[in-house]
Formats: sequence, C-alpha cells, structure tokens
Amino acid sequence: MSVLSKLKEAVICLRAGRVTLPYPATARPVPEKFRGRPIFDAAKCIGCAGCASNCPSREILVVDLCQEIRILQYLGRRCTYCGRCADVCPEKAITMSHEFETATNCIGDIRQRLDLFMSTCQRCGRCFKEPSHLEQLKQKGYRFDDVQNERWVLRSQAYLTSEAAVDDMKIEI
Amino acid sequence: MIARERLNQLKEKFGPAIQRADLPGDSRLFVFVEPSALKAICQHIFRDLDARYVTSIGLDDRPCSGKFLVAHDFAFDRDHLLCSVLAYLPADNPKVDSISDVVPGASWAEREMRDLVGIEPVGHRYLKRLVLPDGWPDGMHPLRKDVPWNHVPAGYDEEREFTFDEPPEGCMVVPFGPFHPTLDEPAHFRLYVEGEMVRGCEYRGFMVHRGIEKLAESVLTYNDIPMMAERICGICGCVHNVTYAQAVETAVALRAPPRAEYIRTIMLEIERLHSHLLWVGLACHIVGFDTLFMQSWRIREPIMWIAEKISGNRKTYALCVIGGVRWDITPEVRAELRQVLDKLEAEWRAVVAAVSKDKNIQKRTRGVGVADMTLVKNIGLIGPVARAAGADIDCRRDHPYAAYDRVDFDVITEFGCDVWSRVVVRMKEVFEAIRIIRQCLEKMEDGPLQVPIKDELPVGRIGVSSVEAPRGESHHFVITGENNRPHRWRVRAPTYQNLQAVPMMIKDQQLADMTISLGSIDPCFSCTDRMETIDLKSGVTKVWSQQELESMTRRGKA
Ligand code: SF4
Ligand code: SF4
Repeated sequence: MSVLSKLKEAVICLRAGRVTLPYPATARPVPEKFRGRPIFDAAKCIGCAGCASNCPSREILVVDLCQEIRILQYLGRRCTYCGRCADVCPEKAITMSHEFETATNCIGDIRQRLDLFMSTCQRCGRCFKEPSHLEQLKQKGYRFDDVQNERWVLRSQAYLTSEAAVDDMKIEI
Repeated sequence: MIARERLNQLKEKFGPAIQRADLPGDSRLFVFVEPSALKAICQHIFRDLDARYVTSIGLDDRPCSGKFLVAHDFAFDRDHLLCSVLAYLPADNPKVDSISDVVPGASWAEREMRDLVGIEPVGHRYLKRLVLPDGWPDGMHPLRKDVPWNHVPAGYDEEREFTFDEPPEGCMVVPFGPFHPTLDEPAHFRLYVEGEMVRGCEYRGFMVHRGIEKLAESVLTYNDIPMMAERICGICGCVHNVTYAQAVETAVALRAPPRAEYIRTIMLEIERLHSHLLWVGLACHIVGFDTLFMQSWRIREPIMWIAEKISGNRKTYALCVIGGVRWDITPEVRAELRQVLDKLEAEWRAVVAAVSKDKNIQKRTRGVGVADMTLVKNIGLIGPVARAAGADIDCRRDHPYAAYDRVDFDVITEFGCDVWSRVVVRMKEVFEAIRIIRQCLEKMEDGPLQVPIKDELPVGRIGVSSVEAPRGESHHFVITGENNRPHRWRVRAPTYQNLQAVPMMIKDQQLADMTISLGSIDPCFSCTDRMETIDLKSGVTKVWSQQELESMTRRGKA
C-alpha cells in the first residue's frame, strides 16, 4: 500500500528532527586523530629530509644553501594531508594539526619554511631511520630541490641545471 | 589444483601455442601464449570455459624484454581463480588480433591500449580514439617508457574537431552532458531519439586526465602510490588503496598480518555502507523523491564520522601501505562503531520497510534500464548491476582477500534485471555489510599492523587483485619494477565495464528514464572544450571555441 509507505516515510522524517549543523557559524569539533594541515616544528627538526623523500605529493623541498644551512620548505599547494611525513619523521617534528579551513587567496599563507642550522652534520641522511625497506631514503646526501620554481628535483645532484623546470602549476604567490 | 587443471585443459587444446605458465598458488594463473593464438585461446576461455572477462592491459616492456606485452584478464568465479593470458609482441609495429568481436566487453580496453601504449588491435570494428584528448598528436603514446612523465607533446592541435558518428535515420540528436544536473562528473552522451524513445547513443568520456598510472610508473614509489590510488575515485577510494596494496603483495608473496586484514575488511565495508546509502539517496533524488535523499544522507553521516575517528579523515582513509595498514581500531572506537552500526541498522530497516512498498519509486524504476544475463556475460558487467540480473558473482566470496574468508555473509541477488532490482540489491547489501563489520570486530585478533619488509621487492613479478567495490569489482594489475616502483600498474574501476553497457540499457526506453538508468550503475566519471549557445531570437547556432571561451572568462563577462 503506497499510502502506508508514505506515512512510514513521514514518520522517519519527523523522528529525525532537525540535524543540520550551524556550520560555518560553529564547526563541529574534529576527532583526536584528525589529519589537518601539517605543522613543522623548526626546534625539533634535524633536517634529515625523510619527510621530503616520502611525501607522495612531493610537497616538501630541501635545499642546502651552504655547508651549514639547509632550507626545508613545505609548499602546501597540493598537500593531501595524508600524514606520511608525520609518520616517518624520526624526531616527531611534524604534527597533523586540526586545521582544515585552509582555503586562501594567497598560497604563501600555508607555506612553511624552516631554516635549519646543520652544525657539522655531513648530511648523509643516516639520521633518518626508515620505517621499512620501502621507505629507504632515496635521496641521501646533498639536496638541491628547485625552491625558486617550487619543484622537486628527482635525483640527488650537486648543482641545478640552468634549464627552467616545467611549470606544472602557476599559482600567484 | 584447479589452476593446474585449467592450464592442462588449455595445453591439451592449444599445445605448443602455450609457451609457459606461472602458477603462484591456486588462485592465480598466468599463461604466456603465442600472439597468433591469443584470440582463439581467449575465445575458448570466455565461451567454452565460461570465464568472466575482466580487462585487457597493454605494456611497453622494451626496457626489459625488448618487446611489448599484452594481457587479457579473466576470472573463473566458481573456481576462485583469476587468470591472465599474456603475449609478447615485437617492438616495431606492435599488433595483436582484437578479441572484441568474441568478447564485446574488451572493446574499450583495446581502444585504450591503442591510445596509450600504441598496440594496434587488428580487426577492432570501432577504432575511435577513447582516452586521449582530441588535439593530442597521432602516434604519440604517453604510457610508452620513452615518454617522460612531464612530456608536453609538440603539435598539440587545440582546434582539432571531434567527429561524432552519424545518427541513425529518422532520429534526432539530444546531447546529454558533459554538464547535466544529474551527472556529478563530466561525461557526454549523444542520444539518438525518435519521439520520446531513445534508439541509441554515442558516449564520449575520459574528459579528465590525471596521469596517475604514468606517475606511478615513473615518479612515485611503492608506498607513495596508495595515497594517490585512493584519489582515483571520490567515493570508493579505499577500494583502490587496498586493491593496489594487495596486487603488489600478491606479486611479491607478502601477506599482511591478520589484524591488518581485519582492519582492511572493516574499512572496505564502512566504505560500502556510506557508498550504498549515498547511492540510494542519489537515486531517489534523480527520480525526484528528495525526502528520502535527505534521510538516507542523514543516516549516512555517523558512518562518515566514525571513519574520521578511525583514520583521521571522513573519506580519504590513507589506510594501506605495502604489507599492512596505518591505523588501528582501538577498543573505544570499537565500542562506538558497534553503537553506530546498531543505530544505522534500525534506521535503515525503517527506510527499507517504507521504500519497498512505495509505488511511486517502483513505477519509475521497474522495467527501466534493463541489463539481462546476456549483457552481463558479454560486457562483463559486475557488482549490483550483475547481481540484479541474477548473476551470482561477488569478489568477496569468489576471490577472497583480506579477512573475507573468515566471515559469513550472503551474496544478494535479484532477478528483475532493472533499476528497481538494483535498488533492492543495494538496500539489502547494507545489512550484509553491517553483519561483516560486526563479525570482524568480534574476531579481530591482536597483533602487528604491518609486516617488516627487509629486502627490496623482487623485480618482474606479476600480481593481480580484485576487490568488490560498492559498484562492482575493482581490478588492479601490477608488474613490479626497479627503483622501488612498479613497472606497470593498470587500474580497472568497475564503472569502466558497467558504463559500456549503458547504450544497450537505455535503448528503446523513454528519454526521461535515461538519468535513472545511468544513475543505476552508480557511475563514477571523471571537462570540456567548448559550449554551444543558440540565439533564441534568430535561431542562429554558434559553437564557441575554447579560445573564445577563455578570453570571455578572462574578461570576466559572458
Ligand atoms: S601530509 Fe602527506 S602530502 Fe602533505 S606534506 Fe605530509 S606527506 Fe606530503
Ligand atoms: S623528517 Fe622530521 S626531522 Fe627529518 S627533515 Fe622532515 S621534519 Fe625534519
């Protein structure tokens, strides 16, 4: 009987009451484990580049300015908040925060740059303890990502070639 | 040993044409055959041995063997066996006999192979470009190994026109999509209509290219790919994540720890729950019954929240790495998940009780979008579409993976072959999913979440894995490679097969039923190049080119 089923459907609706959340006026609190924007702690980071080598989206760039200074730059353009960087970091320098409202007109708002003093470390990459064989740091040694053009350089090399990297993403900064 | 039995059957019939075979266990069979006998062997497997066609894979194997490789995958569902028939093709001018006239479902896969790898299916009757954009230069095949991942081909012709087929005589053309209120993603159907009746259609899809397979083969590494794989689909992402991990694991004979297998099962079923509830809502929305659309999405929301609690995200769980899972199910979450399931079950029971007697919904869906057993067999339809036609197939039972061999559940089948049967199948499957999760929570043993991987993964191993996604079987084919990444990774999502049946499903149906017929396969498409405007006063049709559109939007006015 169709009338009966219509009544049943009406009951379902009435029982449910109002469930719409008042978002964005107030946001529902996110659970403890929520993976939001990763936050990098320069005080803890030892510059091992483990996060950079294991980021599936290639969002973390590393460049050595000189023997002592290493720059670690998180771009935040296409980060998928997967949390792999936080997983592999041996110093727990990365926290997956609870921030999710990260939409912005200026991508530079999300970018994080760590200027790391490397002391006398020879940057062998060995301080990065890979969780499994598959996470082996493929880029041990000097790192020269193309920070200017925000591009990951796929092989570890001592200098950058002069040719411009293909710009896969033109975003106003 | 069913795999050996099947191999012997093939050997008996084809003798020397079978060059070599790999039997890694009783559930997988890889047969390397003479290219000239490939078609006959596939025909025998598909017709005489009654296997189900899964997909075809083309591969540029020149860096390893100096040749091209083509593989046709079949599934012997009753024998719990997945079988690949492979043939090496010469490096210059790779050609292979098309199997699409004996296995109609292979048509798209062969066209894709031709576009992306440049293997010519000889004898294919409809060799229109399928995957590559219209302006892409001829003879340039992106999945070949000598093409870099970031290659921008010279000679891209943005102005190149797509030629549509001629509509049959007496038919009008009604364009449907690429943007249509009931399509969530871009796809274009050119419907041929006679009055109100649809007589046929031409499909044009593949409008979004992300190059995930190419990236995986050239840039990403084994443990990066799962996070990318789950972005293949916006609803059943976890399925691809798990299928990929399993394909690699079977290739290198690695097994995830039992606890990880249970967690994979639970997350896959959580995904099925939210996907089916979403679909029932959408189907109601398409037929204009928004009340139930709202209610079914309301009932779905707690599932999303519990997924968020377990994995940190309501949709992209980022669950698997090779050899295990990343997230544990803690005792608190376990208790909460039980509560969520209890509530969901009670509420869903009420919905099912109401809907199953609702005449309005039935009138819109009974006898609509018919896909019968013949179509299921020919095109290789899967999932709820096949089960609604009485095909008793379900990868969870037929090709058990994760912890499905340790739980008890029913495969729901219906016999109406129409949209209504698909509604019923999905509604009932919700209860089965709840049952499975409950059993997993009960049986889950303590233990590690990942196996330690001590050595590099061996090179050149083949692995296939099928996972029953909410929409049907998702199938991944992996060949392991050097540099910590696969040599070839091919993904076949369920919609790939199911979509090929849409032209047959909507034939001789009312135009108004098109949307629900299409919606009933729960399609998952992935933008367009131009639009058409008609000046109503003068009736002049003008087709806007991409450049005109761009300059218009840049000026900020239309
Ligand atoms: S969260 Fe994932 S995508 Fe984002 S920076 Fe970390 S590893 Fe990369
Ligand atoms: S893995 Fe951790 S310690 Fe190493 S570079 Fe990244 S943030 Fe710093």
